[in-house]
Amino acid sequence: MSFKPNQTVGAATAAAAILSAIVILPAALRAQQAPPAHPVPPPKNGGTVVMLCDGKTSIEIKSLKPGEQPTESQGREVANELMAEWRKEHPDEHWQMAQADAGAKPHADPMSQASKSPPATGQQQGDTYASFTSRDYKVWQAETQKFVDEGKRIFHDWKALGGTIGVSCDMCHPDGANTHPETYPKYQVQLQRVALLRDMIDWCIENPVKGKTLDPNDPKLRALEAYIYAQRKGVPLDYGKH
Amino acid sequence: MFDERLWTGLLLIVAVVGLSAVPARAQEPGPLAEPKSRNQVGFPAELYSWVIPADNPQTPEKIALGKELFFDDRLSEDGKISCDHCHVPNKGFTDQLPTSMGIHNQFGQRNAPTILNALFSTTQFWDGRAATLEDQAKQPILNPVEMGMKSPDEVVGKIKGIPEYNEKFRKVFGREVNYDDIARAIASYERTQIAFDSPFDRYMAGDRRAISDSAIRGWSIFNGKGRCMSCHGWNPTQPLFTDFKFHNIGVSAHKSDFVPLARKALAILAQGASPEQIDKLAIQTDMSGLGRFLVTKQPHDIGGFRTMGLRNLLVTQPYFHDGSQQTLWDTIDHYNKGGVQNPYLDGGIVPLGLSEAEEDDLVAFLASLTSPEYEQMAKEEYDLQFKRSRTDRPQRDTEAAMGLKGRNGPGLGGPFGDIGPGQSEMGENPALLGGD
Repeated sequence: MSFKPNQTVGAATAAAAILSAIVILPAALRAQQAPPAHPVPPPKNGGTVVMLCDGKTSIEIKSLKPGEQPTESQGREVANELMAEWRKEHPDEHWQMAQADAGAKPHADPMSQASKSPPATGQQQGDTYASFTSRDYKVWQAETQKFVDEGKRIFHDWKALGGTIGVSCDMCHPDGANTHPETYPKYQVQLQRVALLRDMIDWCIENPVKGKTLDPNDPKLRALEAYIYAQRKGVPLDYGKH
Repeated sequence: MFDERLWTGLLLIVAVVGLSAVPARAQEPGPLAEPKSRNQVGFPAELYSWVIPADNPQTPEKIALGKELFFDDRLSEDGKISCDHCHVPNKGFTDQLPTSMGIHNQFGQRNAPTILNALFSTTQFWDGRAATLEDQAKQPILNPVEMGMKSPDEVVGKIKGIPEYNEKFRKVFGREVNYDDIARAIASYERTQIAFDSPFDRYMAGDRRAISDSAIRGWSIFNGKGRCMSCHGWNPTQPLFTDFKFHNIGVSAHKSDFVPLARKALAILAQGASPEQIDKLAIQTDMSGLGRFLVTKQPHDIGGFRTMGLRNLLVTQPYFHDGSQQTLWDTIDHYNKGGVQNPYLDGGIVPLGLSEAEEDDLVAFLASLTSPEYEQMAKEEYDLQFKRSRTDRPQRDTEAAMGLKGRNGPGLGGPFGDIGPGQSEMGENPALLGGD
């Protein structure tokens, strides 16, 4: 046991490092540490256990054996059961419709102004970097829409989400309903930290979609975030709201 | 290596001079002159639908007529210079000369931009003095050192004297030959010169092995440390690698004293600033280096030139508006040292601190923007430029690139001393705007 002293020293060093890290790290940084894990309980009837987004309530889908390829209707069944559970636990919760599909008034089309922009020759009166043509607005709009459309595609596709039980985002949040992206950042009890919208998307991908969380820079996560925000166009920002 | 190229160039000039004694066309345009398919990886269909003008739709007959005009020497005063004299399909629709040669062996002040993808540009010419390809086509025909025709009427008269043309114009436009329709037909042909389908386009479409590891690193530098993307913008909707804006990067600061030149130009433009007048100043005088200023008369546009797209660069050398840089390494060296200091230098031009390896990666990335029809030519040019870059680097200034001198360190920043934008005698002085 000649290595024991070394081990002790190592452990002590590690403990000291952790202690000093806790002392030195500002509260905000500590808040960014990895979220607590919420393992689902084992199935009682040989089905698949899926957790509700509160991180506490779980249900067992008996018809879906672990590792089985789910069908569209099985996914829908899972989503319906989860929704029923959520509504039971939140009887007074106001269900928020997706703005983009609730007759929200669209913002002024930049092209309507762009068509009046001066001809190319002799423009550029202002600063080079702040002078834009109608083409610029069209390109920006097209690129943004492609990004949002990609998010919409993934939102509705459990396979693209990396899901395993046939559940996609739209099954609980049709057209992005009740995602309230305007309330982030806010403290999320399940995570025990301040969360951004992308953290909650990842949360949903883990439970209930039952996929693997996406890296914050993953193009899929960025596109999902874009789609969810786009569906709430025109709603005032209200960070920290519960 | 350099000497070899110089000799080749001299021989070429001798050959051209020799050929110019022959009255008729020496050769057919060849396959690279043919209208291109739109079925190319990376082709921006949406953008294409925006840029075809409603009052000049593409038709096969019009394109064929435009092609004929583009390659017809008779559009020039001496019957020897056609559009393709400076926009040669086999040279990426450029002449691969620093500046172009027109009638009677006269040279202008500007490098011939490529026709490839010119349809997507929001303005034409290095200074954007034409808004459309139609407007652009009209100017070289009338410029005294380019094609040298005296007036639009003279051009129309000459074309009307050719019976086949009369018939074709009547068929395509339903009316007599006129100068606007000549320009419309040429522009229609030019709008068929679409060049995508490069290894980079295939890479972005998902083929991760379409470009080399060096090119992938170069793409990353392009977006990051190299700051290239700020002006040479790329996105799937507009994949042209340009912002179509005008920037002073200090190219003409080598040889222009901007302030007196700008005063001189304003005095001339005060007498009249017709497109022909601006064209003459740009092509025939030392005021050419003022760039966009000749069009807008705004001090901040002094020495500003349009950001060019980066596709097929290895067949459109030499580089910059005056063709002053021979290789892509020279061009990157220019940016790496923060351009050439002058009072109107664009604020985005700063020393980049790129290493040799990073410059090589950037060139590998640029080489990946080559369309298939130019692959072999580009490979040969890459080899030439690579060899030359190992020994001959006239623009390299490692100390400036690393910020050890110039703006961020001790010593002078350029030919005008260590002077930043807006500090000059002229600046935004409103008195100057009225002219002297």
